[in-house]
Amino acid sequence: MTTASPEARPAGKEAGAPAPVLAVEGLEVRYGRGRRGRSALRDVSLSVAPGETVGVIGETGSGKSTLARAVLGLVRASAGSIRVGGEEVTGYGNRRWRALRRRGIVQYVFQDPLRSLDPDLTIEDSLIEPLLIQGVERTEAVDRARAFLDRVHLSAELLGRLPGELSGGQRQRVAVARALVTEPALVILDEPVSALDSANRVQVLEILKELRAAGTSLVFISHDLGSIAGTADRIAVLYRGELVEVGAARDVINHPRHVYTRLLVGSAPTLHARTADRSEREALRARLAG
Amino acid sequence: MRTLSRNTAAGSAPQHAPAAPAAPPVIAVRDVRISDRVTDREIVHGVGFELTPGKAVGIVGESGSGKTLTCRAVLGILPPHFEVSGGSVEIDGTDIATLTPRQWTALRGTTVGAVFQDPASYLNPSIRVGAQIAEVIRVKKGVKRREARRQALELLRAVRLRDPELVYGQYTYELSGGMLQRVLIAAAIAVEPRALIADEATTALDVTVQAEILDLLAELRERTGLALVVVSHDLAVVAQLCDEVLVMRQGEVVEQGPTHSVLHDPQHAYTRLLMAEHEQYGLDKFLTPKEAS
Amino acid sequence: MTMVRRVLSLTSGRIAVVILVLVALLALCGPWLAPQDPLATSDNTLASASGAHWLGTDYLGRDVFSRLLDGSRISVLGSLEVALMALVVGAVPGILSVYSGRAFEWLTLRLADTLVALPFLLFAIAVIALLGNGITQAMLVTGALVSPLFYRVSRAATLAVARSPYVEAAIVSGASVGWIVRRHVWVKVLPPIAVALAQTIGVGFVIVSSLTFLGIGVQPPAPTWGGLLASDLGYLSHQPWAPVAPALLIMVTVWACNLLADAIRDVSGEAGRALVDRRRARSRTSTSAPVPVGGSR
Repeated sequence: MTTASPEARPAGKEAGAPAPVLAVEGLEVRYGRGRRGRSALRDVSLSVAPGETVGVIGETGSGKSTLARAVLGLVRASAGSIRVGGEEVTGYGNRRWRALRRRGIVQYVFQDPLRSLDPDLTIEDSLIEPLLIQGVERTEAVDRARAFLDRVHLSAELLGRLPGELSGGQRQRVAVARALVTEPALVILDEPVSALDSANRVQVLEILKELRAAGTSLVFISHDLGSIAGTADRIAVLYRGELVEVGAARDVINHPRHVYTRLLVGSAPTLHARTADRSEREALRARLAG
Repeated sequence: MRTLSRNTAAGSAPQHAPAAPAAPPVIAVRDVRISDRVTDREIVHGVGFELTPGKAVGIVGESGSGKTLTCRAVLGILPPHFEVSGGSVEIDGTDIATLTPRQWTALRGTTVGAVFQDPASYLNPSIRVGAQIAEVIRVKKGVKRREARRQALELLRAVRLRDPELVYGQYTYELSGGMLQRVLIAAAIAVEPRALIADEATTALDVTVQAEILDLLAELRERTGLALVVVSHDLAVVAQLCDEVLVMRQGEVVEQGPTHSVLHDPQHAYTRLLMAEHEQYGLDKFLTPKEAS
Repeated sequence: MTMVRRVLSLTSGRIAVVILVLVALLALCGPWLAPQDPLATSDNTLASASGAHWLGTDYLGRDVFSRLLDGSRISVLGSLEVALMALVVGAVPGILSVYSGRAFEWLTLRLADTLVALPFLLFAIAVIALLGNGITQAMLVTGALVSPLFYRVSRAATLAVARSPYVEAAIVSGASVGWIVRRHVWVKVLPPIAVALAQTIGVGFVIVSSLTFLGIGVQPPAPTWGGLLASDLGYLSHQPWAPVAPALLIMVTVWACNLLADAIRDVSGEAGRALVDRRRARSRTSTSAPVPVGGSR
């Protein structure tokens, strides 16, 4: 799986493409009401085809987590539409959201591996929770959950442990496994590797690549272009609540069009390839500020 | 830039050449070993480097590799029950083991400054940030309030904060992580130290902000001859800024040498692993074809 | 339950539990254990301790020991009434305030603020004045007045959990409010509520004793700890040692309640788990048994 390059996979968006797993159209999210409110997202349009991995990159406050939360119904959209698995969910109330979520089409992996698992529940209990919510019998749920522990390269011995007894990397992998147990069509990952050290980061990234190969659609949110670059088919760049650039991963990295994207690529620390020098970055910053 | 002009002579030298080969080191670390007094275990097994004015040394390693302990040993702020059990650290030719607390206080800030990962926790949240820098200047330089304020503003300008007057009057919660780190750098260079230790100073920041801070450090180094110790878990960050690299793992320096030769001809398997991770999961893989020409 | 086992692993927890169990036994069996009729008067007034009267007799010649045993039931029942009333009135809205919409939240918050402002001892006296002399109604009213403690404690604990990623993960998987409360919130809210409960039982003892000390809530011949203390104080010049027994009983019981509250606080949460694990590990290593990696369940 390490050799497959992003381009080798069907982008899926062109001619005769199947219906997207996720289609966001003209999305706007506002926090606060009236004049004191501010919009966290403005006119964001993005779609994710079946099997596609879209990387969403943006810095703190760019609205990337808001995008994820809006797609999951955790925050309300002020305008625009969101379609999940072909279903228009924009106007959904709590009950219909719950019914939709219970089908397990979309799952979410949180940034903070320390707090994304209930400290009082064993790994097994956390892992099977989405299945129990669906109404699956406990014994069957446990059987099914074991298989997914395998997928994230964790041994079944961990099932009886509490999150406090696992390392950060192990916990994040459990969180990924929990997101997978309902066999979702789309997994949204919010900074899944940012809190991990490099060995664990590599491990989780490898798991994501395997998922992608298995045909699960992924939305990979991160502030780090490096970790997205090797995983995503397409990259979407969020800057101050707006989607400034969307394109094939290699294109965005090698030929960034927007000033911010150019600064982003030019700022990424690299070993050999000098992406930009200080004066170039200075000039880009000035253009962005002005 | 009056406050920062003391070493401008060094600033005119090209970036990757130290000011003068014969210049005595600001910081000399000689085979430093650090032990935990309680468990009686050696945590750091011998680190050594020399930092001459205008030079930049980078230390790379995972958390727990001993890089932060080494920094803290140099600054004389090892956590309780850790001690330097071997080797020596010299600052400006003086062995720090012989320093009294009073001499230490005089040395910190004036000769060596430091910035750490979490800028917010090094500033008082209930005092305006400008006043905190002015305080440092007033105490260390013994100047009047008004002059301290003027110099603090100049420093905020020197670390490229856009509106120094505004930032001067703000509190920590009003500033972003990148701005706070700049404020801390301003405070650290307030008394014109000759060396600055940056321990994971950019780790918690966004990539573009990290680049800004690294650019700022490079610029300060060029302009004022500030010597740098840059500590990071990211080999690329260190590579971007430093002349010499130390790769640490489990308290041991597994590789040490000029940045260029370490990157082009890594000797140790761990260094190669670090580089492979970057090449496989970083941007290098995508950019190399374009830059190869 | 794991919580009980953890509390019992602490010395302070064991002491508190032993004392409270003894007090509870007193309350249950006190009237039967009493060697003499607690209401029977005799000519042998203000007698010193003797074989016949272990703690002497009072100004009407009644056996003090029997009266203490007999009076324990009212004190214990009263304090339990306070605590349980406060628990029900406080904790349930406290948890619900996080989930049941803004209006409910605002209303209960203001109500809690109002209740805190009322001095409960005076209020209890006023209620007795209105409804007639009876300990139960006074205790229930007092319980309602201390309920903001439970409201606050359970609300704070619920809020902390409600915003955690693991609860959001459950929401994203389609969990209902009931599911989240049962599976995630309850376990986190229980320890602070248990702490508050132990504390409130202690407070309840003080309130019952205060009221009965003032002669409120119980008709005179019926013995109570507070009433005994009050009548003993009246004859301080004859029997300077007499108030010691009821006073000590009240003190030790309240102290045990607070000790229990502290013990629960110490063993709950992540820190508590670590504390208990450490102790266990230490005792294991001292018996040179192997320490399994993390076996806190």
